[in-house]
Amino acid sequence: MAAVTFSAVTKQYKGDGPLAVDSLDLEIEDGEFMVLVGPSGCGKSTALRMIAGLEEISTGELRIGERVVNDVPPGDRDIAMVFQNYALYPHMTVRDNIGFALEVAKVPKAEIKQRTEHAAEMLGLTEYLDRLPKALSGGQRQRVAMGRAIVRSPQVFLMDEPLSNLDAKLRVQMRSEIIQLQRRLATTMVYVTHDQVEAMTMGHRVAVMRKGILQQVAPPQELYQRPANLFVAAFIGSPAMNLVNATLGGTPDRPTVSFAGHTLAIDSRAIERYPKIVDRIGGPVIVGLRPEHFVMEGDADLPADQMMQLQVDLAEAMGAEVHLHATLDVAPVELEGAPVAAEDGDEVIASITRVIARVEGIHTVMSGERVTLGVKTHLAHFFEPGTGDPLR
Amino acid sequence: MSVKRKGPKATMVRVATYGVLVLVAIVVLFPFVVAVTTSLKDNNDIFSYPPSLVPEQASTVPAAQLGLDGDPLPTFTLPDRDGTFALVGRDVPIAEFRPLDDLERVIALDPAAGEKTGATIVIDGDEEDVFLIDVDGDTIEAYRSRLTSGGEFVNVDDPTDVAIGLVNLAVPAEEFGPRPANFTEVWTDKELGRSLSNTVLVTFAVVIGQLVTSILGGYAFARIDFKGRNGLFLMYLGSVMVPFVVLIIPLFQLMLQVGWLDNLAALIIPFIFTAYGTFLMRQFFVGIPKEIEEAALLDNASRSTILWKIMVPLARPAIATLATFGFLYAWNSFFWPLVIINSGNPEGRVLALTLSTLGGRSSTDINLVFAGAVIAMTPPILVFLFAQRYFVENSASSGLK
Repeated sequence: MAAVTFSAVTKQYKGDGPLAVDSLDLEIEDGEFMVLVGPSGCGKSTALRMIAGLEEISTGELRIGERVVNDVPPGDRDIAMVFQNYALYPHMTVRDNIGFALEVAKVPKAEIKQRTEHAAEMLGLTEYLDRLPKALSGGQRQRVAMGRAIVRSPQVFLMDEPLSNLDAKLRVQMRSEIIQLQRRLATTMVYVTHDQVEAMTMGHRVAVMRKGILQQVAPPQELYQRPANLFVAAFIGSPAMNLVNATLGGTPDRPTVSFAGHTLAIDSRAIERYPKIVDRIGGPVIVGLRPEHFVMEGDADLPADQMMQLQVDLAEAMGAEVHLHATLDVAPVELEGAPVAAEDGDEVIASITRVIARVEGIHTVMSGERVTLGVKTHLAHFFEPGTGDPLR
Repeated sequence: MSVKRKGPKATMVRVATYGVLVLVAIVVLFPFVVAVTTSLKDNNDIFSYPPSLVPEQASTVPAAQLGLDGDPLPTFTLPDRDGTFALVGRDVPIAEFRPLDDLERVIALDPAAGEKTGATIVIDGDEEDVFLIDVDGDTIEAYRSRLTSGGEFVNVDDPTDVAIGLVNLAVPAEEFGPRPANFTEVWTDKELGRSLSNTVLVTFAVVIGQLVTSILGGYAFARIDFKGRNGLFLMYLGSVMVPFVVLIIPLFQLMLQVGWLDNLAALIIPFIFTAYGTFLMRQFFVGIPKEIEEAALLDNASRSTILWKIMVPLARPAIATLATFGFLYAWNSFFWPLVIINSGNPEGRVLALTLSTLGGRSSTDINLVFAGAVIAMTPPILVFLFAQRYFVENSASSGLK
């Protein structure tokens, strides 16, 4: 087991191309479950493959434990990797797949057998040991890939979107199995995913990346509650945070935020978290409201100046909660010249901001109905337009 | 075609499809059948008319069966007579009579037979005597068209039933008679055994050599990143476009200088490098997901372990294809051996060369030519039957997803 340390690691594929990973500083502690998350092309897989030694490091230094591994070939790094497509050897049985690394290492036959069977037992693969990969289901293949990794007892596990080829139900099950496995083995694990739900539920800490640049490293709850910038705020959370172009108003004692004809008072607790708000009164701001920051009128004791009326375009009853979809007549929030929502692949209309409110309980709301919602502005987030930096 | 359709229309379509397929199969198979049956024929039988697919030989009966001594007697069927007759004597005097009411009919009898009536008849300007002859119990009028000699026949089932007649009008009786001796003759007399062992040696060496060089080269072109790789690959591939005839003279010069003229090495060494095979293997290796190799790299497998334990087993379909093509090419190659092996050196000949000398312009042993051809084409057919299942198999992607 070992820590993994990136020191100003940069990856550039061609001499003058864009940086796939831009000066990454990241310390993954010994025994930690670290999740790298971000949209496609953010450099998370490249970072992982650099740990594996499958990508060369352009500049910077990468250490596994105390050893600098920039020039150590993959096989000598004592790491194991699970690939997105599992990369099982199709012509070998499950037993041979799991035991291949040991065979290459010239481990005695009896020990290979014993260790292979132990790994198989741990993963519930014992009865499939003599099958070929093509005779296995997706979940079983996934387990074989994991078995191939754990049989070696490596210093670090690397996982490159290992669950993305599984169906939703199996994904949830395998997710918890991987968490338990990591807990039991207490081996350092670096896990790459584009799915922020996986990131939130699995990692001790989550590193959010965008366009090769590390945005924030933090435990999941902190990431959710204290996003380092607009991108992290938008990326983490499902449904995503509602980000709205707004104007700050009111007085430094009692600031307000206005957008699309609505004006909401900002609770003083928000000012403690975002003290720079008071300097920006009269200026533009991006306000971030998580869907659960809305409550139905009467469900919570909120002052009247934190209420707003919305026309519901679509009401989705989820059982324990209702998702209310609405639109605001205000241009969508942009980050570096492109709408934030577009990074997730959502369709963006130039003059409209979509918002989702998640209200608890059973409410019968018809599509097209007007509802009055309270807004917990003490939980709201505030960002600088243009840079996306938080106002703190 | 995986969807099974039902109903009378579908049945009709299926019947028609199979009908056409069977027809085509027959057309395609026919030359092989002819080759195989001809290789088992006696040389006379090959030129007999009408030709038959089945090897036949003149049938005989033992002389003892007719109470005679000597060699087995050839048997015939006679016009106008039922049963099979053995020819027991030649140069028997014969008189040919033609009945007046049917001048086309010829009846062969003993010259002493017949009784002149005294009347005459004019046939084609000649005056002929009219005879009374007995035919099958009837007495009919006939004239004697000529005196000649013929054979004496005895019914093999009834030695008392004797007939005389012209031997050339008797139809020799034939029976199924394959002649496997063709194979032993061509094997020993024409030194086909030596040619076969030469061919096997050359083919084996060429196939193994081609596989080794193509696997190594194809893997390097597919997966090892070296400077100028793509340019080199294009050049290599371009060499496929050069027709072999263009290479004959330079290659001959080269062999001359190396000292391999009239030597089997000249049939092997130049052909173990194949741009086509390298291309084939490269394409296959490129198609194997990179992750499989990366997984092996992480398992600390060396390049050669990856190649021989992971890539080669996965490339079995491509290897079978390449081996089959290499085999057929080496086995059938004729022109280059013809150029390089001296005609006075039968020890150095390969099968194709020996076959061509068997079938030369003055050759009369067609049966031996065919026997040699059958020997030469059997191994390729077996190889194809063995290898064809790999052509359709592709297992490389099944370990993923």
